[in-house]
Amino acid sequence: MTSLSVSHLTVNFGSRTVISDLSFELSQGEIASLLGPSGCGKTTLLRAIAGLIQPTSGAIRFGSQLVGVSSVVLPPHKRGTGYVPQQGALFPHLTVAKNIAFGLDRNSHTKSEIAAITHEMIGLIGMKGMEERLPSQLSGGQQTRVALARALAIKPKLILLDEPFSALDAVLRDELRTEVVGLLRELGSTAILVTHDREEALVSSDRVILMRDGKVAQNGTPEEVYEAPISPEIAASTGDVLILPAQQSNTGATFFPLSREGAGSAGSETGYVVIRPEEIRVSTNADAGAEGTLIHIDYYGHDAMLTVSVAQSATPIRARVAGPADFTVGQKVYLQHLGPVRYFSRQ
Amino acid sequence: MKSQNRFGSYGLRALVAGVLILISQPLLYLVIRASEKSGSDIVALLTRQKTFEVLGLTLALLCIVVFINVFLGTAIAAGLHYVRIPYPRALFVATIVPLAIPSYVFTYTWIALIPSLQGLWAAAFILVLSTMPYMLLAVSISFARIDSGLIEVARSLGLSKFAVFTRVILPQVRRSISAGALLSGLYVLSDFGAVSLLNVETLTVSIQNLFKSSYDRSAAAVIGLLLFLAAALFVSLESLVKGRDFESRGAEGFAQRIRRVNNLPLSILTTTVLAFYSLLAVVLPFYVLISRYLQNPSVVAASDLATAALSTISVAAMGAFIAFLLSLPLAFLITQGASAFVSISEKVTLMAHALPGVVVGLALVSFGSRLGPLYQSVFLLAFAYAVLFLAKSVASTSAALALVSPQLKEVAATLGKSKSSVTMQVVFPIALPNLALGVLLVFLTAMKELPATLMLRPTGMDTLATEIWSFAAISRFNEAAPYALLLVLIAAIPTFILTIPRNAKNEYAKNENEKKVRISQ
Repeated sequence: MTSLSVSHLTVNFGSRTVISDLSFELSQGEIASLLGPSGCGKTTLLRAIAGLIQPTSGAIRFGSQLVGVSSVVLPPHKRGTGYVPQQGALFPHLTVAKNIAFGLDRNSHTKSEIAAITHEMIGLIGMKGMEERLPSQLSGGQQTRVALARALAIKPKLILLDEPFSALDAVLRDELRTEVVGLLRELGSTAILVTHDREEALVSSDRVILMRDGKVAQNGTPEEVYEAPISPEIAASTGDVLILPAQQSNTGATFFPLSREGAGSAGSETGYVVIRPEEIRVSTNADAGAEGTLIHIDYYGHDAMLTVSVAQSATPIRARVAGPADFTVGQKVYLQHLGPVRYFSRQ
Repeated sequence: MKSQNRFGSYGLRALVAGVLILISQPLLYLVIRASEKSGSDIVALLTRQKTFEVLGLTLALLCIVVFINVFLGTAIAAGLHYVRIPYPRALFVATIVPLAIPSYVFTYTWIALIPSLQGLWAAAFILVLSTMPYMLLAVSISFARIDSGLIEVARSLGLSKFAVFTRVILPQVRRSISAGALLSGLYVLSDFGAVSLLNVETLTVSIQNLFKSSYDRSAAAVIGLLLFLAAALFVSLESLVKGRDFESRGAEGFAQRIRRVNNLPLSILTTTVLAFYSLLAVVLPFYVLISRYLQNPSVVAASDLATAALSTISVAAMGAFIAFLLSLPLAFLITQGASAFVSISEKVTLMAHALPGVVVGLALVSFGSRLGPLYQSVFLLAFAYAVLFLAKSVASTSAALALVSPQLKEVAATLGKSKSSVTMQVVFPIALPNLALGVLLVFLTAMKELPATLMLRPTGMDTLATEIWSFAAISRFNEAAPYALLLVLIAAIPTFILTIPRNAKNEYAKNENEKKVRISQ
């Protein structure tokens, strides 16, 4: 069942087009990431869905209900979206419990219902005993939890998270993200997570929507966008890439520096291949692949990125090896490409 | 990216327009009254020797006071912040306390000490004492906001301490110096009490004389317009020199306290200047008031004192509240972002701010008969206060509202709250302390107001200000003392609140928490 559909959405700020003819759909219970560089329109899209800004043209539907067109159909307070902005934006004058209960309408809920929902939410985010604290007395991670609970308390049709973890340090960030995504899945929530962290987008969502210049560049499952990018540029936005010049013959054979077929022949179409560094096997056995010299090691602990210069390629080859890595700079290594060949013709 | 909703802001604009029309009434009255004179009469009045003398004296006083304030005030504020001095907080409070003492009280305490005191330089001395706190407060707030990180970076880039001050600090406080100069300049232009007691015939005194002696209200209105023009010119001059607006990021989180310069001669100089200033502006005036009061504590009946205090408080509170209500539409509009309409509206309120009390008083008195039951009522006086202090109120109200982050309003909207509930449940509760502080400041200023109060008070109503003035004018200093003491003490309460560092408690909680978080990791 379609939960959210955005069709041909355009948003202009004055003469500047921030979102241009953008369309996508989300199914019930799906978690989508909006991934893109800053300024690509991610936050604007999220705010348009929440009703905080007015689209210039196009339509936004929740299920079959039209909520937003160029003349606002539903103002933000009637949309029932749970919005979690950057850094939480907790009401500084209200306690944790009152922040969470803020959106619960006193006309449609009794006092005891409100108390029960608040209690349930506090349990859900693991903050029992902190009900009476003020936001200023909470850590960054706790503030994000409360902001999420406040959004979830109104049983929203859609949860909108705008880089909620960006203010947290790496360890806390991973922990809290796992926790929050787990919670959203448990509740079966439909959610959109805005992020510029490619790993965060891949690990936490069912669908990754890659944005560029106010448009959807690619929309698919994390595996699809990572494994089958539509362009070298898009490939680079979901992970490390090696882009090598390549040639493709009429028969479909692709020639590039590490290809088994060797160098290309004249008259072939020229382009690029996109290789992920983990798709290259590095070996010290002389019989395995192209010979090269290890010129640099970036050591990350759990893995290492090796930079190898090979005779066949003008640009050095970067390959990822799992730790513990037992290599030294200057040694001879042999490279073998194992992954799929992603060829893009030069246009 | 501000939130839209243009429908809401049309209503707001209509309200703002209504307020602007309301507060332009005094000026309009003045123009109508002045135009009753023939063109040749107006020219004759404006070109006579006397007018030139009065105008020259007014401008000379303005220049002297503003010049001293800009240089001495900036130096004193810099010393307070950057030089190692004993008891810096106490000295800071001592420099701000004179805010509670109106110029006519300063004058009368100094005349009680030196009976022969009079003339231009005496007036300049008194007005520097009265206006210096405005300068110090404005500049101090900017000094306090400067990130110590900037200073450290500048030092690491090879700048000397003095170069840091001139190249990093001063450019950031330039707007505040300019704002302080504006406030003190307008104070000088509109001052009536001090110059009147010191026999300096400035424009305000001239207007009052014309109004009282000859009852030639059209002539008074012409000179009133001249004074308004001078003030308006001064306001526009300030907006020319104040420079570009940039947001200083301000110190956040673990920002270090700025290290004070540890240089003995400089410390001694700074401490001496501060002590001398406190002696002239705080110690001696209080000494005179208290000793005069103690000479004959029962010269004024307690009931008279209480009545005057009560009328002062009630009419000033009413004025402050009306000003607050009138400021709300424009303040809300300002928080929604800059626009041509907002900038015009701000200019009009600033022009109203340039209207000296004597001019507003004159305008409302001369049309009193047309105002029906409002004339000779406290409401007219309260309205005059509201007109006089609307710009102050708009500034503090919009500053208080601006502290509520737009994100909070947006979150509240997505949680199902309509615009009005967002205002009631989020904006007002968060802005309340600062809104209240703004009202308190206007209240304090209204309480000390003299010329408009003299002209507009209902017959038989005495306020603390009018009682002080009428006794001091005939040198009955013992009778004036209890009224003055009471006025200064009441006015000192909001002044002290001003000197308390803002949100000290919250900041503390935040820092404590950050520490805890760091330790726990």
